[in-house]
Amino acid sequence: MTIIKPVESPTVTAPLSKNSALRWVRKNLFNSVFNTVLTFVMLYFVYVAGKGMWSWGITDAVWIADTRRECFAISIDGACWAGVYAWFDNIFYGRYPREELWRINLGLVCLVIWMVPLWLPRVKAKISIGMTTVFLYPFLAGYLFSGGAKGVFMQFMVTAAIVCLLVNTLHAIVGVCSGRSLLEFIVTLFGKKNASSKRGRNILVGLFAIIFVVIYIWQMNWTVERIPWTKWGGLFLTLVISGIGIAMALPSGILLALGRRSNLTIVRVFSTTFIELFRSVPVITVLFMATTMFPLFMPQGFVLNKLVQVIIAVCMFNAAYMAETVRGGLQTIPKRQFEAAHTIGLGYWQTMGLIIMPQALKHMIPNIVGNFITLLKDTTLVSIIGLFDVLGMLRSISKDSPWLGLHKEPLVFGAFLFFVICFAMSKYSRHLEVKLSTSHKK
Amino acid sequence: MTETKTQEAGKTRKHLVSAASSSVMIEFTQVNKWYDDFHVLKNIDLTVHQGERIVVCGPSGSGKSTLIRCINHLEEHQSGSIVVDGITLNRNLKNIDYIRTEVGMVFQNFNLFPHLTILENLCLGPIWARKISRADAEDVAMKYLERVKIPEQAEKYPEQLSGGQQQRVAIARSLCMNPKIMLFDEPTSALDPEMIKEVLEVMIELADTGMTMVVVTHEMGFAQIVADRVILMDKGEIVEENEPVAFFNNPQHERTKMFLSQIL
Repeated sequence: MTIIKPVESPTVTAPLSKNSALRWVRKNLFNSVFNTVLTFVMLYFVYVAGKGMWSWGITDAVWIADTRRECFAISIDGACWAGVYAWFDNIFYGRYPREELWRINLGLVCLVIWMVPLWLPRVKAKISIGMTTVFLYPFLAGYLFSGGAKGVFMQFMVTAAIVCLLVNTLHAIVGVCSGRSLLEFIVTLFGKKNASSKRGRNILVGLFAIIFVVIYIWQMNWTVERIPWTKWGGLFLTLVISGIGIAMALPSGILLALGRRSNLTIVRVFSTTFIELFRSVPVITVLFMATTMFPLFMPQGFVLNKLVQVIIAVCMFNAAYMAETVRGGLQTIPKRQFEAAHTIGLGYWQTMGLIIMPQALKHMIPNIVGNFITLLKDTTLVSIIGLFDVLGMLRSISKDSPWLGLHKEPLVFGAFLFFVICFAMSKYSRHLEVKLSTSHKK
Repeated sequence: MTETKTQEAGKTRKHLVSAASSSVMIEFTQVNKWYDDFHVLKNIDLTVHQGERIVVCGPSGSGKSTLIRCINHLEEHQSGSIVVDGITLNRNLKNIDYIRTEVGMVFQNFNLFPHLTILENLCLGPIWARKISRADAEDVAMKYLERVKIPEQAEKYPEQLSGGQQQRVAIARSLCMNPKIMLFDEPTSALDPEMIKEVLEVMIELADTGMTMVVVTHEMGFAQIVADRVILMDKGEIVEENEPVAFFNNPQHERTKMFLSQIL
């Protein structure tokens, strides 16, 4: 039998989407009598719960008052947000001296300035900007937050951080304006259009050396008052601990994951032991170990402060978790990719850095951000071992004499705070996923 | 048309071989390899001279892929010796790295890097393993993309290309390293019939440049046109090794006869 199509079939536009909202509602909520009843019952429950929350939290709530007693006098059934509001500074900054709060804010602003270029599409050399954020910014922030006299090393690192911040910012501005790197810009600025890149680099290094020296001399006389870590607290402390945890977890997790797959027995055994040890112990135990047992193992007279111990513990714990996430991601990359990389002469680190990790990390984004969110929330556990992080601060409101017994409102506020931060992170991760997965389907 | 062209090419090729036959590029001596208890390679002896084209065929599981993967040490042999370009393959990582920059390989499944553009795929090896500047590497890459006839695809990603185009990119990627030897591991087995031709044409052109090639393939037409020697492997052994005319017209071994009757 022969079939020959006489004319080409015309192309027709696709039928209208079957997923319009009304259709969906009818199909999923009112498709039978039972479902219709169920829908109405559930709607009623939602209404009751929502109304209760609404009247307690918004309409009947007291926003301005000086004590809890006053709150009660105004409205007995409503929330007493005045108490939370009165403690705002404490919730965000802990017991940090009020006249020094600018230092925390400045530190935060520096971080934002440092990170913004990472999101600007025209800026080049994003990896080195990211690296300096992880390795140099902490010194600047650390000094801003704790203050006191600087040792030579600290002076050097603070100067390096400031220079780096300046260079990054300049680089970003040049990048946004002209789409070029700072190096190219300066080379053309000096009128040497065709100067070799080596020469341009020399000019650049010379410039930076001068800036470095200037800033070094300036910062020798720049000191801020010492503020012991015991005064740190609130959301600030939470973000410091989890921020360092997040910054350290990914690189060390990658190293541990690679170590676990290594052919070198010692490296593999060490990595595996480390990962399994920390993964099979609850985080609170790790925290207790770090603060109470760790000093016992140290030589006499060797004292680390509790905050540093806690941060080390958080980093180690999360590195172990991250290592397993990364290992999972590495397993999604077929062996063929390794072989292809080997056949064009790439060595182990080049293969990992250029071929395997970029692909694996893309697959792992949801899990990695999930880990970060868990880390942020787990950080509240430090309130149990006596650090006044945001949760510790929220709970001490109820022990403050004007607001005695105010438990609910601070915790609701805390939940709201965490929701905002974590939801933003999760949204961003989703955005990143979409962006990276479509980036090569243009 | 292409027939006559390739026959002419064949003549010049033979000339090249005789000129360069003195230097040995690959030498297998009594090589044995096991996967656990399975004996994949049994007492392999093989010599490939510079400029020679060897086609390796045989039923699946006969060890032909393993054989060529030993040449750039993607697989490790357990006894015997393999000398490539004058260097003995052992556990010395420096030697292995060197060999891998000198030996290009093309796989059945192309194995391009999906997160990089075609141009970046091509430049990676020259930039990182050969330490060439990016601009020079891009020039070289474009040159080879033109040679495999797809310079217009340079900015695309591998998944946007057809199988045949991807395989041609893979060939270009290996050539960018300016290798002395090219290995092909069933380069056309994963392709649709109409794409096989375009890849084979590129390979034939490559053969005309005097490249030393070891090709695992079932394309007997290709073997007849290009090969200096055809090798039949079965159960881990080299069963028969001969010039293509003799191999196809007058097979000596029982297994060769059987293999040819099945495949032709």
